[in-house]
Amino acid sequence: MNSQDKDGASDTGESDTPGQTDTRRDQTRLAAEDAVLSREKSADLREDAANLREDAADVREDAANLREDAVHLREDAAHAREASATSREQDLGSGDAQTASDDHISKLRQANEHLVIATIEASVMAEEIQAAKDTLEHLVHYDTLTGLPNRALLQDRLGQAIELARRQDRQLAVMFIDLDQFKPINDSLGHLVGDQLLQSVAQRLVGSVRHSDTVSRQGGDEFVLLLPYIEHAADAALSAQKVLAALAPPHHLAEHELHIGASIGISIYPDDGRDAETLIKCADTAMYDAKAGGSNSYKFFEPRMNAQAIERQSIEASLRLALERQEFVLHYQPKIDLQRGTTTGVEALIRWQHPQRGLLASAQFVPTAEACGLILPIGRWVLREACRQAQAWLQAGLPPVTLSINVSTAEFLAADYLDNVRAALEEAHLEPRTLELDLTEGVLMRDVASTEPVLHALADLGVKLAVDDFGIGYSSLRSLRTYRIDTLKIDPSFVSRMIGNADDAAIVCAAISLARSLGLRVSAEGVETVEQARFLRDRQCDEAQGDYFARPLAADALAALLQTGTVHAFQPTAGDRPPQ
Amino acid sequence: METPDPQRHQIIDRLMAQHPEGADTVSVLWEKLATEVSSIVGAGGFDSLYERSVFLTQSTFPWLAAGASSAQADHRFTSLKTSLAAQTPTHASEANRLLLVTFTDIMASLIGEALTTGILRSAWGDAAADKNGEELKK
Repeated sequence: MNSQDKDGASDTGESDTPGQTDTRRDQTRLAAEDAVLSREKSADLREDAANLREDAADVREDAANLREDAVHLREDAAHAREASATSREQDLGSGDAQTASDDHISKLRQANEHLVIATIEASVMAEEIQAAKDTLEHLVHYDTLTGLPNRALLQDRLGQAIELARRQDRQLAVMFIDLDQFKPINDSLGHLVGDQLLQSVAQRLVGSVRHSDTVSRQGGDEFVLLLPYIEHAADAALSAQKVLAALAPPHHLAEHELHIGASIGISIYPDDGRDAETLIKCADTAMYDAKAGGSNSYKFFEPRMNAQAIERQSIEASLRLALERQEFVLHYQPKIDLQRGTTTGVEALIRWQHPQRGLLASAQFVPTAEACGLILPIGRWVLREACRQAQAWLQAGLPPVTLSINVSTAEFLAADYLDNVRAALEEAHLEPRTLELDLTEGVLMRDVASTEPVLHALADLGVKLAVDDFGIGYSSLRSLRTYRIDTLKIDPSFVSRMIGNADDAAIVCAAISLARSLGLRVSAEGVETVEQARFLRDRQCDEAQGDYFARPLAADALAALLQTGTVHAFQPTAGDRPPQ
Repeated sequence: METPDPQRHQIIDRLMAQHPEGADTVSVLWEKLATEVSSIVGAGGFDSLYERSVFLTQSTFPWLAAGASSAQADHRFTSLKTSLAAQTPTHASEANRLLLVTFTDIMASLIGEALTTGILRSAWGDAAADKNGEELKK
C-alpha cells in the first residue's frame, strides 16, 4: 500500500509560484532525498528481505535438519525402545527359560516314568499271556492231576514210536495198568485221598521206567506205559515186574497207610497190532485177563483173550440183568466140628442161575462183578438174603448154626458197609453173633485208619470175624490181635497138598498152633479126603469144610440135612464112613 | 560261540568285588542307583524296574524280599537288606549281583547298552570306572 501511495504523488505535473518554487525545490530536494532515502531504505529493505529470505531458508534448512534429526531421534528412540524391549525380553526370557526348562525336565521325567511302568507292565502281561498259552498247551497234552502225558499225547507218541519201529524193524510194548481196588479206597476215604494216591502211584510209575518210556494216565485209575525201545518181549515183562515192585510198598498219605496193587496187560508191536488203537485195546484186554487171574500180576496179550473179553462184556451186561431178574441164589456148605462131628455152621456161597447156561459157580462171574463194580449191590443182596435164610431156619426149628459170608475187599471198604450189616441183621431179626464175616488178608492189610474203626464196630456189634485164605497173604500177627479176630481159615491150597507135602503140612500145623496160641478158632477149607480130615482132627484143628463132608447145597436141601442130622459122614473116631 | 558279558556286568562284578559284604553293598550301590535312575524315570519308574527285577531274581533266590516303595524312599531297600542279612555273605553277594544284573538287563532292553552303562557310571562315579583300563590309556 505504501508504494502505491508514493507512485500516485510523483505522477502530478501542475505550475507553482517562486515561493512556491522554492518550496517546491525544497520539496523536490526533500523528495529526492526522501527518494534516496527511500531507495536506500528500499535497498535496505530488499537486503533485509533477502537476508530474511536467507534466514528463512536457513530456518527452513534448520527445520529440515531438525525434522531429520527428529526422525533420527525417533529412529534412535525406536531402536532404543526396541533394544530396550529386546533387552527386557532377553532379561525376561532368561528367567522364563529356566522355569520352562525345569517344567520340561519334569514332564520328561514323568513321561519316562509312565513309559517305564507301561513297558514293564506290558512285559508282565506278555509273560502272563505266554504262561496262559503254555498252560493251555499243557492242559491239552497232560493230565492235570498227575502231570503225566494224557491220552492224546500218548496217542501221538505211540504213533511216532510205531512209525520209527516200523522203519527200524523193531518191537515196542504197550502196557495197560489198572489199579486193584482203587474204587473202594476212593469211595471210602474220599476223592482227596484218592487223588493223592493216584499222584503217588504216578510218581512211582515214572520212577520205575526209563526216561525214554512214556507213562500216561488214561483216566480214573488207568495208566498206559509205552516202551518204545525193547529188544524182546521179555524186556516188557521185566518192566512190568519193576512196576509191580515199585507199587508194592504202602503209600503213606496223611494218617493213612494204603496198599494198592495193579493188574497189567501187555501188547507188543507188531505181533499184536500195527496201530496205536489196536495195541492199546490188546493191552487193555490182557489187563482184564491179569485181573481175573488175581490182582497184582501181568499178562501178555493172547488172541484167545479177545474171545474172553467178549464173554466178559457179555457177562457184565447179563449180571446187571441178573440183579434185576433175581437170578442169583445162595448155596450153603456145612462146617464140621472135627472133634465132635457136629455141624457148627454153614458158609453161604453165591450161584447164578443163568437162564441159558445153567447154574454158574461164583468163580465164573464174581471176578467180572468185582471188575465192573457190580460186586457191591451183589454183596448187599448176599448179606440180606443169607441173614433172611438163617432166620428162616431158626423159625423152622432147626438147630442154630453160624452163618459165614465172604466179604470182598471192595465191599468192606465201601463207606456204607457197616450200615449194610446192621440193616441186614435188623431186617432179619438175627442175632449178630450168628453172623461170621470172612475177610481176606488183604482187608486186614489195608489202610489201618479206615479199616480199624469198621472192624472194631463189627466186633462191638457182636459179629464174628474170620480171616479167610490164611497163609497166602501178608497178614501180620499184630493184626490178628488188634482186630479181635475170632477164627483163622486155612487156605485150601495148603490143605489139598498137606498129606504129600511136608512143607504144606508144616504150614498147616503152624497155623493151627498159632491160632490156638492166640486163643482163636481154626478152620480148614477144601477138605476132600478122609486122610485130610483125620490129619486136621489129629492136629487139633477145630473145624473143617469141603466136599468130603458135603458139597454146597441149596437152602432146602441143607435144611433137610440139618433136620435129619446126617449132614456129614465124618466121625471123631476111627471108622469114618464114606461121604454120601 | 559264547557272547561276552556286557560292560555293565563287568562294572557290577568290580563293584561287588570291592564291596563283598552283601547287605552293606545295598546302601552303597542301590541307593546311588536309585537316585540316578529316579532323576530320569521318576521314583515310580525306578520302583517298577526294581520290583520287576526282584520278581525275576526270586526264581533263583526265592527268599529275596521286594518291598521297594517310593512312598518310603528312606526305607526303600530295608526288606532287601533284611533278607540279604539273613543269608551267608557269599549267598547274599550272589543274590545282590544277580539282582543288579537283572535290573540293568531290563534297563538295557529299554534304552540300550550305551545309555544304561552311562547311567551306571553317573550313579556310581569312580567306583564304576575301569581303573586298569584307564591306566592303560595313560
